[in-house]
Amino acid sequence: MNKTQGRPSGPPPIGRHPGPRFNGPAEKAKNQKATLKRIWSYLKNQRIGIISSILFVIISTILSLLGPLLIGIIIDDYILKFNIDGAIRMVLLLAGTYIISALFIWLQIFMMIRVSQKTIRELRQHLFEKFQSLPIAVYDKRQQGDLMSRMTNDIENLNAALSQSIIQIVSTVLSVVGTGIAMFYLNWVLAVVTLLVIPIIIWSTKQIIKRSSKNFSQRQRDLGSLNGFIEETISNSHITALFGKEKQAVSQFKEANERLRASALKADITSGFLGPINNFINNLGIGLVIGVGALLAIGNFGVSVGVIASFVTYTRQFFRPINQLSNLFNTFQSAIAGAERVFEILDEQGEAADVPDAVAKNRYNGDVEFRNVNFCYQPNKPVLRNVTFRAKAGDTIAFVGPTGSGKTSIIQLLNRFYDATSGEILIDGHNIKRYAMDNLRNHIGVVLQDTYLFSGTVRENIRYGKLSATDEEVEHAAKTAYAHNFIKYLPEGYETILVSGGMNLSQGQRQLIAIARAILEDPDILILDEATSSVDTMTEVHIQKGLTNLMQGRTSFVIAHRLKTIENADQILVIKDGSILEQGDHDGLMKQNGLYASLQHQLQMG
Amino acid sequence: MQAVVSLKKYIKPYLAFAIIAPLMMVLEVAMDLVQPTIMQHIIDNGIAKEDTSYVIQMFGLMILSAVIGLMGGAGCSIYASKTAINFAADIRQDLYETITYFSNSNKDHFTLGKLITNITSDVEMLQRALTMLLKIFVRGPFTFIGAIIIVFFTARELFPILLVVVPILALSIFFFTKLSGNLFLKVQEAVDAVNTKVQENLAGIRVIKAYNRKDHQIEQFTTVNATLMKRNIQADQIIGILMPLTAFVVNMGIIAALWMGAIKIESSTIDVGVILAFINYLMMIMGGLMSSSNVLMQIARAVPSAKRIVSVLEEKSEITNIENPLKITIKGEVEFEDVSFAYNKNNEPVLKNISFRAEPGETIGIIGMTGSGKSSIVKLIPRMFQADQGSIKIDGRPIEDYDLQTLRAAIGFTPQKATLFSRTIEENVKYGNDEANLPQLIEALESSCALEFVEQLENREQHMITQGATNLSGGQKQRLAMARAFIRKPAILILDDTTSAVDSISEKRIQRAIEENFKESTKFIVSSKISSIRHADRILVLDDGVIVGQGTHEELLGDSKHYQEIVSTQLVRGGTLNE
Repeated sequence: MNKTQGRPSGPPPIGRHPGPRFNGPAEKAKNQKATLKRIWSYLKNQRIGIISSILFVIISTILSLLGPLLIGIIIDDYILKFNIDGAIRMVLLLAGTYIISALFIWLQIFMMIRVSQKTIRELRQHLFEKFQSLPIAVYDKRQQGDLMSRMTNDIENLNAALSQSIIQIVSTVLSVVGTGIAMFYLNWVLAVVTLLVIPIIIWSTKQIIKRSSKNFSQRQRDLGSLNGFIEETISNSHITALFGKEKQAVSQFKEANERLRASALKADITSGFLGPINNFINNLGIGLVIGVGALLAIGNFGVSVGVIASFVTYTRQFFRPINQLSNLFNTFQSAIAGAERVFEILDEQGEAADVPDAVAKNRYNGDVEFRNVNFCYQPNKPVLRNVTFRAKAGDTIAFVGPTGSGKTSIIQLLNRFYDATSGEILIDGHNIKRYAMDNLRNHIGVVLQDTYLFSGTVRENIRYGKLSATDEEVEHAAKTAYAHNFIKYLPEGYETILVSGGMNLSQGQRQLIAIARAILEDPDILILDEATSSVDTMTEVHIQKGLTNLMQGRTSFVIAHRLKTIENADQILVIKDGSILEQGDHDGLMKQNGLYASLQHQLQMG
Repeated sequence: MQAVVSLKKYIKPYLAFAIIAPLMMVLEVAMDLVQPTIMQHIIDNGIAKEDTSYVIQMFGLMILSAVIGLMGGAGCSIYASKTAINFAADIRQDLYETITYFSNSNKDHFTLGKLITNITSDVEMLQRALTMLLKIFVRGPFTFIGAIIIVFFTARELFPILLVVVPILALSIFFFTKLSGNLFLKVQEAVDAVNTKVQENLAGIRVIKAYNRKDHQIEQFTTVNATLMKRNIQADQIIGILMPLTAFVVNMGIIAALWMGAIKIESSTIDVGVILAFINYLMMIMGGLMSSSNVLMQIARAVPSAKRIVSVLEEKSEITNIENPLKITIKGEVEFEDVSFAYNKNNEPVLKNISFRAEPGETIGIIGMTGSGKSSIVKLIPRMFQADQGSIKIDGRPIEDYDLQTLRAAIGFTPQKATLFSRTIEENVKYGNDEANLPQLIEALESSCALEFVEQLENREQHMITQGATNLSGGQKQRLAMARAFIRKPAILILDDTTSAVDSISEKRIQRAIEENFKESTKFIVSSKISSIRHADRILVLDDGVIVGQGTHEELLGDSKHYQEIVSTQLVRGGTLNE
């Protein structure tokens, strides 16, 4: 199960819920300032778009502030004075501002969407290209799901913030300031009364968020552990059944489920207060405006019915953005935290660059030599010690040794997935670092134990070995690899679509395709990792024949498991704890009577 | 809709909450609705007549209504949460229990991945929809309808405006909701394409690097990335019209109100307060309409989830106890009589007319190609599946007569895929027998050749296994899975191809340990390797679901063509020297 699917960006909610919703505490970025600066460096390319949309926001906000003012004037100066012609004229003016304001709001949305989507595309592209140039060490260190979520969730968060939050923040600030000015211009007493409500809003929102944050993290923890439990026990439920542990599983589940029930109730109830309380404060504010306004009107303090009307509309306009401010900040904060995680990857060191005037060859002879090679993944934990051996062009070298002895590390050094900590690796007499990395890898073929296949047709997957290959070349390679036999029985033959990872083929079939791919690549040096798992006997025979064809005339390094392969090798390296323990061909090693011979004996005796 | 109805029994315990919540919400909405009317009275009766005490009275009423509204809203929120969360927790519990008791064919029918999604995200979806239903779904329509009714009674002169504005609003919301559904389906396709590409590149990075296909991959990604951007821009920009459009329609309603108001006020058929109240109601109508459409969408999306949940809950487990099942000690004599079985009842059976007998203490080897049905035979013994035809007897009685717990307690089964739990090694092995003591644990580990590597681990048998046992090699997992079966000391021991990743030398040692420690047990060993079964008392050779040969290694070498063929191909292959 892949647990990190991208958050589906389904239809955005149309219209707003009454009052803001609280979706849990936002994660904070470690270095907000630097991250913001870097986001800006991406946005800079869309400068014109940003400036124009901010301009549009300013215009539309000012126009929307003008509306209530005009309504007040229309009521006081025209309607209440029975100046109907004038009222109609003013109404048309109001209609004009509404039309222009709607137009500018749409223009601003139009521009900002372009800005954010283009920025996001650029960032996504950068991240993907970075993925391609990261050394294998990063992939071994980090989990695939972690990298995946940076591409999906983190970038999606940033997208949400860019396309909505920036504009909302600008318009909130503008309309709060603008409304404030307009209110004071209309009547300062009433303005002060309205503004009194703001601290109450901020205080109560803070109180609720403070309480819910705690409850929400508890809920998240409980949910996480429950989901983990579900995933594991349901995936392994046949074991539960076979061992008769159903009751135990159900009661363990119940415990976790009850914990979640309790914490979810707490979290939901506290955060659920946010909506009603905000609604209350809005009503309270409007009540105050009308009540105090009416008293002021009667007492002749310069408040008219029109002023009250303007204030009521302003109050609604004024509170709504403040209510949403906390939510906005949350979105913004998690976007910055997400961006920071993306930048963290972008800052990872890429693969070692080629040396100046690196050599690129058309063909390698395939003489390979390891001279005193030491290697460790982590400092002070050596994986290979003083490995020295020589392979002549065309030889087959078999590595034998228990799991974790360092066989895989040796082949990882050969195609420079990792570089040796000390010592030298030579190909055709030159240090491998002297060659251009691309050129070197183009001439080293790899068939791994469980080869990854990409989604696409069987043909495309084989063609991966040589992108320019014709259909005939592909089929020829498949025949040489003994893969043609099963491919022709697939429902669509070579055009059969494989799912990601090639999971609709058996492991043996996947390996046959990998062999065909390597044959098509026609490498000078070959790295093989024999499969251990049992494949059925016919496929097994095919793999053997395919491999034999593939290894013909190339220097081959094989992590060997089958006795037959080992016995036929020109040179066997017995590896234990990172050192070469024994070295020689089968007969020689048997005569030495060391570890290899004793392994063979144990096996023969049974 | 039927699915939703059949979930109603989960609401029942919380029915009171589920009724109180919307009622409280009605209270909040009523208080909201009353406000503009009070305002109208303050303006038309209070200010116009300069009646200070009336204004103060009305002001008090406004504050009172706000407080009552707060109580309603908070109450609704509390009871809606209580209903939805309890409802979801109960369903989750029942789902888990149902799934746990599912037979293998039930699970195959749904697939494990879907069952997991079902109990996690489907339940979550339902919970969210119910909360919304109880909170907002009452709020939206009630505000909308309430405002229209109030306008009809208090501002009849301006009511015709609603007849124009409301249909336009409703139509445009409907139209855009539909449109956004289609547009975002396309966006989702593009998102999926990008995610698949990224996921593949992460999983296949070694292949990409080994073949030096960086540029090729980037080129492919650039295409899907650009498509995603284009579709996102298109969708967002079209949906972006809705907000300014609805605001514009409402504003035009305000314009109309002022215009008509100005004309009617001259003929003094209307008061100015009425116009102001109308403007406020108009805004409420828009809000109500929008939030209802939003909630409707959410609920519509929850219906498929509800359907999936119901279909799981209503699935009958295929394998159950009979009435008064046998609960007696099992000795281990196993007999298959003319057994046939198919996973998919429309397809050809994977086992055809299988008959054989195994006495306590015997070792039965089962060999054949992939897909020959060798695993299926042993899966029938603990009733993981039900045979379609023929009978399987243990100690002379059909296995259906035994209590399931009793039957399975007598069997030590190690499945093909060695699955372990994210617990300590000790807990994993003792999963086979809770009562086992330390010497028994060590003995089981030793028999399965697991002790040698467990001793090397940090904390030895207290070593924590990660989820999916990623910190162990394939061979180590298989050894621990065997230890888990050994520690049961079962009457019937079944090893379903459990040494495929174990090196040949250790495999031999395990075989010897089984011979010594399980003398009384009936042993079934399934394998595709000759070396794993050649010592068996009897070997069953399977081909395409039929037993094509039966006998000892030597006998079969003499008279079974199939067996000879397998032997000859495996000679080419030889043994395996290391894991």
